[in-house]
Amino acid sequence: MSAQWRERREAGGRVAIWLIRAAGLFGGRAFARVWLYPITLYFYFRRTHERRDSRAFLSLALDRPARALDVLKHIHCYAATILDRAFLLNDASLDRFDVRIHGLDRLEAEIAPGRGVLLLGAHFGSFEVLRTLTARRPDLQLRVIMDLKQTRALNELLHALNPAIAANVIDAGVDPGALALSLHEAARQGALIGLLADRSRAHEATAAAEFFGRAAQFPTAAYQIASMLELPIVLAFGVYRGGNRYDLHFETFAQEIRIPRQGRAAALQAWAQCFAARLEHYVRQYPYNWCNFYDFWDRSVDEQRTRNAAVSFGGVP
Amino acid sequence: MHQQTPAEHELASLIVSSLNLEHIKADDFVPDAPLFGAETGLDSIDALELALAVSKRYGFQLRSDNADNKRIFSSLRALSQHIETHKVS
Repeated sequence: MSAQWRERREAGGRVAIWLIRAAGLFGGRAFARVWLYPITLYFYFRRTHERRDSRAFLSLALDRPARALDVLKHIHCYAATILDRAFLLNDASLDRFDVRIHGLDRLEAEIAPGRGVLLLGAHFGSFEVLRTLTARRPDLQLRVIMDLKQTRALNELLHALNPAIAANVIDAGVDPGALALSLHEAARQGALIGLLADRSRAHEATAAAEFFGRAAQFPTAAYQIASMLELPIVLAFGVYRGGNRYDLHFETFAQEIRIPRQGRAAALQAWAQCFAARLEHYVRQYPYNWCNFYDFWDRSVDEQRTRNAAVSFGGVP
Repeated sequence: MHQQTPAEHELASLIVSSLNLEHIKADDFVPDAPLFGAETGLDSIDALELALAVSKRYGFQLRSDNADNKRIFSSLRALSQHIETHKVS
């Protein structure tokens, strides 16, 4: 199982790297997007596990049995957002995207000097679309927590495209002490601290929450961090709408999070459930944006997923 | 062999109280052993809590832009030495 996982994840990464390189060498985004169709077909026919898991997920999210065309749309949407990551990291190409921002006032209301805001996203659509906001608003400092050990090759390529981005990443793969200090520092600087809160990693604290009617494990580190550093939490979801269109949704999640020592587990579970409910709300509207091509509800894949997740932030080790 | 200095013992007590540890006592900390990771079962969330407790108790912020980050939190001894040189007394 673990070898299979590794192989599945790396194949996706390799295709993305190849596409991004090709786009850079030959005709840019329009050229690369033509290749999304054969790539989608290739994945559909060669990647039976992803195809099966996508179909099962879409049948839940669409509330009807998913068809082959639905799965093809799902793979195409995912491939398109992976490709766009390269262009979203490049300041010069940000203008090519048509991004509608919803709820910016919600985010702005939580920004205060020297405090920071925790921005919770998910492996859903494109978290990188946030860059269209921060590139235009130099007053907003974005730091994203991610584990750079996961899909190292893709991350190295993306960071080579824009070295400034690498400086804004808080590597969750470093030792716990250094990670804690980086988080503390980012909060003191009043940064927007981005974290994806859907995928849990092995040996990481999680809580079971109902998601599409079934229990799934969600990481709880974000709520503990928010409680300790007294950070408000704002949800941030970048939804791909086809073509060059994205919608960026901000939503107040919690202005204050208090996790008491007594009853900590129950409090964390309640927040994880709130997150799962809001995530489900968005995923129901835009199911093809779901980027988790595996059985999200199956606990036994946690460990494999942890080592091989395509772009894993998940939480803190 | 693993004799704690008074400063190290005070810090170990702070770790136990701030992290609400039930399975480890202040005396159990080996000054040179890794503070976080599989051996102690303390993770980055605990590290964050400890960083906050240290800044409250000793009156200075542990800096993250410091290249010594990894070393500072590497052991009880390293953290204690860092605190002794930086604390506002």
